[in-house]
Amino acid sequence: MADTFTVHLKIWRQDGPDQPGKLVDYTLDKVNEHMSFLEMLDVLNEEIVAEGKEEPIEFDYDCREGICGSCNLVINGQAHGPKDMTCTCQLHMRNFSDGDTIVIEPFRAKAFPVIKDLVVDRSAFDRIIEAGGYVSVKTGSAPDANSIPIDKTVADTAFDYATCIGCGACVAACPNSSASLFTGAKLAHLNRLPQGEPERKKRTVAMVEQMDEEGFGDCSNYAECEAVCPKGISISAIAEMRRNYVKATLAGTEA
Amino acid sequence: MNLDSKVPSGPLEEKWSKHLNDIKLVAPNNKRKHDVIVVGTGLAGGSAAASLAELGYNVKSFCIQDSARRAHSIAAQGGINAAKNYPNDGDTIWRLFYDTIKGGDYRSRESNTYRLAEISNEIIDQAVAQGVPFAREYGGLLANRSFGGAQVSRTFYARGQTGQQLLLGAYQAMMRQVSEGNIEMHTRHEMLDLVVIDGKARGIVTRDLVSGEIQRWMADAVVLASGGYGNAFYLSTNAKNSNVTAAWRCHKRGAAFANPCYVQIHPTCIPVSGDYQSKLTLMSESLRNDGRVWVPKDKDDDRHPNDIPDEERYYYLEEKYPAFGNLVPRDVASRNAKIVCDEGMGVGPTGRAVYLDFRDAIEREGKKAISDKYGNLFEMYENITDDNPYEEPMRIFPAVHYTMGGLWVDYNLQSNIPGLFVAGEANFSDHGANRLGASALMQGLSDGYFIIPYTIGNYIAGTDLDEVSKDHEAFDEAADNAQSQIDKLFEVDGDKSVIEFHRELGQIMWDKVGISRSEEGLKEAISEIQDLREEFWNNVRVPGESSNYNKYLEFAGRVADFLELGELMAKDALHRDESCGCHLRAEHQTEEGEALRNDEEYSYVAAWEFQGVNGELQEELHKEDLEFDFVELKQRSYK
Amino acid sequence: MPSFSDALKSQVGRKILTGVTGVGLIVFIIFHLATNLQVFGDAHAFNEAAHALESMGWLLYILEAGLAVAFLLHAYVGISIWWNRRQARPEGYEKYQSKGGPSHMSWASKSMIFTGIVLLVFLVIHIDTFKFGATEMVTLPGGEQARDLKGLMIDTFQQPLWAFGYTAVMILLGFHLGHGFWSAFTSLTMKHNKYSALIYTVGVIFAVLMAVGFLFIPLYIYFGGGCEAALIQCQ
Ligand SMILES: Cc1cc2nc3c(=O)[nH]c(=O)nc-3n(C[C@H](O)[C@H](O)[C@H](O)COP(=O)(O)OP(=O)(O)OC[C@H]3O[C@@H](n4cnc5c(N)ncnc54)[C@H](O)[C@@H]3O)c2cc1C
Ligand code: HEM
Ligand code: HEM
Ligand code: SF4
Ligand code: F3S
Ligand code: FES
Repeated sequence: MADTFTVHLKIWRQDGPDQPGKLVDYTLDKVNEHMSFLEMLDVLNEEIVAEGKEEPIEFDYDCREGICGSCNLVINGQAHGPKDMTCTCQLHMRNFSDGDTIVIEPFRAKAFPVIKDLVVDRSAFDRIIEAGGYVSVKTGSAPDANSIPIDKTVADTAFDYATCIGCGACVAACPNSSASLFTGAKLAHLNRLPQGEPERKKRTVAMVEQMDEEGFGDCSNYAECEAVCPKGISISAIAEMRRNYVKATLAGTEA
Repeated sequence: MNLDSKVPSGPLEEKWSKHLNDIKLVAPNNKRKHDVIVVGTGLAGGSAAASLAELGYNVKSFCIQDSARRAHSIAAQGGINAAKNYPNDGDTIWRLFYDTIKGGDYRSRESNTYRLAEISNEIIDQAVAQGVPFAREYGGLLANRSFGGAQVSRTFYARGQTGQQLLLGAYQAMMRQVSEGNIEMHTRHEMLDLVVIDGKARGIVTRDLVSGEIQRWMADAVVLASGGYGNAFYLSTNAKNSNVTAAWRCHKRGAAFANPCYVQIHPTCIPVSGDYQSKLTLMSESLRNDGRVWVPKDKDDDRHPNDIPDEERYYYLEEKYPAFGNLVPRDVASRNAKIVCDEGMGVGPTGRAVYLDFRDAIEREGKKAISDKYGNLFEMYENITDDNPYEEPMRIFPAVHYTMGGLWVDYNLQSNIPGLFVAGEANFSDHGANRLGASALMQGLSDGYFIIPYTIGNYIAGTDLDEVSKDHEAFDEAADNAQSQIDKLFEVDGDKSVIEFHRELGQIMWDKVGISRSEEGLKEAISEIQDLREEFWNNVRVPGESSNYNKYLEFAGRVADFLELGELMAKDALHRDESCGCHLRAEHQTEEGEALRNDEEYSYVAAWEFQGVNGELQEELHKEDLEFDFVELKQRSYK
Repeated sequence: MPSFSDALKSQVGRKILTGVTGVGLIVFIIFHLATNLQVFGDAHAFNEAAHALESMGWLLYILEAGLAVAFLLHAYVGISIWWNRRQARPEGYEKYQSKGGPSHMSWASKSMIFTGIVLLVFLVIHIDTFKFGATEMVTLPGGEQARDLKGLMIDTFQQPLWAFGYTAVMILLGFHLGHGFWSAFTSLTMKHNKYSALIYTVGVIFAVLMAVGFLFIPLYIYFGGGCEAALIQCQ
C-alpha cells in the first residue's frame, strides 16, 4: 500500500447563488495515491463533519466512473483537472505530489449559476436539448432496425459525438463560456444519421438559438473546450454546426 | 394481501397480444385530463415518461440528479439483448425467454419473462429510430456479440457505453415532450413518501434538494422507476445516489416487497484498494469473451503473474465448466472467485482478487483487435489501477451489481396498491433469482416504452378516480412524516458520520448476506443490523441544515432506509431455505458448489408486507406461487 | 427558419461574419502588401500603382466602400464577441490555466481584441496620413500627374516614431493573423481533423510573411534604404 501524503487545498465556498464566495484553505494529510480526487474530498469532508465547525463541502457526483457527467470541478484552473480525457471523478491523486497546493473552483458561467460551494445549475444544457436535440419518433412506430443500413464510418463518427456526457467542462474552460462544443456534439451526432436528417435544419437553428438565449458566449475557435473534454470531442463539431446553420438559413423558410 | 398476478390465460405466445386486445383505452381528449407521476428518469422512467406524454397524459417527472440524463442507467456498459436473430445463429423469442427463465433459476413468472423476450425486438427498432448509434458491421447492418449465459450472439451494443446511448435516446424523447409541454420536469427532487387515498396511489411528497422545501404532487397514477437497492452494501457498482428510499417508503405505505434477498454480484469488478473506497467499478462482462480467469495454483506464489507458467495456473472456470468456460453466468463466476480466494489463492495486496488475462487473446488476434474491442475498458482499468492490462493480467473481484428483488407487481406492472406502477430495476418482475447480462436494459425499456403506457390506460379507464386535493389529510400526513424524519435526523446530533454507518452496514451485508449465506450468518446479520440501526438513531451526526443543498442529509435519509431494508434482505435470505440463482445458502449446494433448489417448497415469490419497526423490523410473508406450464424445471448446469 | 438578419445576429451568424470579413481583410492586405512592395521597384513603380488604383474611378469607390464596411463590421462583431464574453462569465476564475493539447489558446488568440483595437486606431491614423495626407504632385513617365505617395512614405518613415510605431503595429498584425487565419477557416466551417493542423501552420507562416513584409518597409526606409532606391529628393 502506498504511503500517504499531504496536499494543501484552496476550495471555493459559497453559501448560495446570491451570496459572495471565497477560497478557503484546508490541509489534508491522509492522501493516498490510489484515491480518486472525489474520494480525497470525501475524506476531507469526513474530517470537517467530525470537527463540526463548518458545513461539509458540497460538490456534484453520481456514477464516479466518468459517464454520468455530474462531477464538475475546476482544478488548478483546468476543468476536470490536469489529466487528458478524464473526468474529475476519474482523476486520481497519483497525479499530484506531496506538498502540492490545489485550487478547486466551480464551473463558472452566467448560464451555470452556483447553487452551493462547487455545485452549479446546468439545466441550460437540458433546455438546449429540449430545443431540438432529438429525433421525433413515436414509441412503437419505428421500422425494423436493419431497414436502414448505415455506413459503419458514419455510425462510428456519430457515436464519437454521441459520447458527450453533458458535463459542461467545455463551457467552464472556454474563455468565452461558449456552449458550442456541447451543442455541436449533439448536432453532429444526430445530423449525420439518416434518422436525424429530416429535422436537421430545424434542429440546428433551434438549438443554436437556445444556446444564445441561455446567455452562453460566442465561440472564438480557441479549442480549449476540446482540450478539457473528457470524451475528447473535436471542435470539428462546431464547424459542422456552422455549416448546417448556414445551409438552414440559406434554405430559407422550409423547415 | 391480494397477490393476484392477473396473468391472462391462454398460450404463452398469445398472452400479451390478447391482453392488449382486452385492455381498456382512455379516449385521446381525456388523456389530457389525467396526471401521471413518474419517479425516476433512468431507462424505465425515462421511456415511460416519454411514451405516456406522447400518448397525451400530463406527466410529472422527478429525479435526484441535476438532469434526467444522468440517471444511473447511463453507466450500463455491455449491451442489450434482443431476439432479432440478425446473426442467423438460431435465436428465437422462445430461446431468449428460455435462457432468461433458466438463468433466473426458475424463480420468475413465465408470462412476464416471455413478454420481455417478445418485446425485445421492438426496443431495438425504437432505439435505432431515435438515432442510438449501435455498433455496425461494414455492410452497414447492426452488429451483435455474445454475453454471459447465452450461446447465441444476441447482444446489441454501442462500444462500452450502451446504457449511455440508450438512456440518451430516452432522455431526448423526454426532452421533446418537455418542449411540447407534456412533461413537467423536476430534477434535484427526491421522493420521500407516497400518498395513498382510498386505497389508491394519488400522489407523492418530495424534497426539493436545492431549497429543502417539502412539496406535494397529485396524480391519477404513480410510476415508480427509481432503480435498484444494491447500495445497501455500501460498496457496489451502482452510482452513489442510487437508493431504495422511494421504493421503501412505498413499502411502508403497503406495497409488498418481493424477493429482497436476490442480489446479483458481478464477477468482473476492480478490487477494493483502500478504506476510502467510495464505490466499485465494473469492468464489462464482455471482457470474459476474451479474457481467461485464473489464480496461481500455489497459494504462496508471489511471482509476478507473467512469470507464472501455464501449468502452475489454475484456470478454474475452464476446468470446472468446460462447456461454458469463462462465460458461465455471473453468479457462478462470482461464487467461484470467492471460493478460490477463500482457499487462499487470491492475488493482489488484499488477496481478494483473481486474474483476468488477455495474454492469449492478444497473441491470437493481435493487440489492435483487442484494443478495438475493449480499448476504453482497458484505459479505464489503467486509469484506476495504474496497471497496463495489455502487459499484465487485470485483477478483478466480484461486487454487488444488481438487485432482482423489488416491489411486487402483477402482469400489468402494478403493485398491490392500485395506481402504483413499478418499472425497471425497482420492481421484482422478470429476472427471477438471477439476471442475465444485457437484460436489465431490455427490461427497463420494455417496461417503460411498451408495457406501462398501455396498462396505465387500462387502470385509469377502469377506475373511479375522485377529485382529491393537496390539502387532503393523507397529504398532510405524508408531508409531516417526511419533515419529521428530517427533523429527527438533525435532533440526534451524535458524533458518528452517516458514511461510517453506511460502511458498517455494507460490511455486515457483504460478509453475511453476500455471495454465500448461512443460517447462522444471517441470524447474526439480523441482530447486528438491528444494533446498528439503534445506534444510528442515537448517534448519527447530520451536518448543515435542511433548508439548503445538503448531500449529507440526503444520504442520512437513504442510509436510514437501507438500515431497515438490510434487515429484510437478511430475513428473506434466512427464510428461503434453499439455494437458487444468486441466492446461495451454504447449506444447500450440489457437490460442485452449485445452487441446489428446492422447487417443492420454494417455488414462489416471497412478498413481504411491512408491519412496523420497533427495534425489530416486522414483516409478514405472503407467497405468490410460481407455476411453470410451459417450461420444465431443471437443475441448472453450465458444465 | 430565422430571417437572414436574425441569423446574422445569432452566435453562429456573428461568427460567420467575423470569418467572412476576416477573409476579406486578408485578401485586401495581400493586395495592399503587393502594392506597397512596389516601393522597392523602380523610381515610379509605386506611384504608378497607386495612381492606377486612383484612376479606377467609381470602381474604386465601390471597393473602398466594401472595404470600409468589412472593416467596420469586422470591428463591430469582434468587439461585440468580446463584450458578450464578459457578460457570459461575470465572475472569473481565481486561477485559470490552459490544458494544452489540441487547445489553440495562445497569446495571439487571447489578444485578438487588443491587437484588433490597436489595428483600429492604427487605421484611423494610417488613412489620415496616407489617403488624406498632403503630398506633392509628380509627373509619371506616362505624362499623368499623380500624388507622390512614395515621397510621403519616405518623409513619414524617416521619423523614428512613425517608423517604429508602424513596426510595432505590424508585429501585432502578425499576431492577429496568427490566430485569425486558422480561425477564419474554422468559422467558415472548414475544419477537418486531418487538415486542421496544416491550416494552422500555413496561417502562422502567412502571418509572419505579412508582418515581416509590411514592417520591412518602414524599417528599410528609416535606415536610409529608401533614398537610394527612390532616386528622388531625399533629405
Ligand atoms: C456499472 C453497471 C453496468 C451495467 N451494465 C448493464 C448492461 O450492460 N446491460 C444491462 O442490461 N444492464 C446493465 N446494468 C444494469 C442496468 O443498468 C440497470 O439495471 C438499469 O439501468 C436500471 O434502470 P432503471 O431505469 O430501473 O433505474 P435507474 O437508471 O437506476 O434510475 C433510477 C432513477 O430514479 C431516480 N430516483 C431514485 N430514487 C429517487 C427518489 N427517491 N426520488 C426521485 N427520484 C429517484 C434517480 O434519480 C434515477 O433517475 C448495469 C448496471 C451497472 C451498475
Ligand atoms: C479594424 C480593427 C480590427 C478589430 C477591432 C479586430 C478584431 C478582431 C477580433 C476581436 C477578432 C476575434 C473574433 C473572435 O473572438 O471570434 C478578430 C478576428 C479576426 N480578425 Fe480582426 N480585427 C481588426 C482588424 C483585422 C484586420 C485588419 C484583419 C486582417 C487583415 C483581421 C483579420 C481577422 C481574422 C482573419 C480574424 C478571424 C476571424 C474568425 O475567427 O472567424 N482583423 N478580429
Ligand atoms: C508599412 C505598412 C503600410 C504602408 C507603407 C501602407 C501604405 C499605404 C498607402 C501609401 C496608402 C494610400 C493609398 C492611396 O491613397 O491610394 C494606404 C492606404 C490604406 N492602407 Fe496602408 N499601408 C501599410 C499598412 C497597412 C495595413 C497593415 C493596413 C490594414 C490593416 C492598411 C490599410 C490601409 C487602408 C484601409 C488604406 C486605404 C485604402 C483606400 O481607401 O484605398 N495599411 N496604405
Ligand atoms: S462536449 Fe465534452 S466537455 Fe462539453 S459537455 Fe460534452 S463531454 Fe463535457
Ligand atoms: S474553447 Fe470556446 S471559443 Fe470555441 S472552440 Fe471551444 S467553444
Ligand atoms: S461522477 Fe459521473 S462522470 Fe464523474
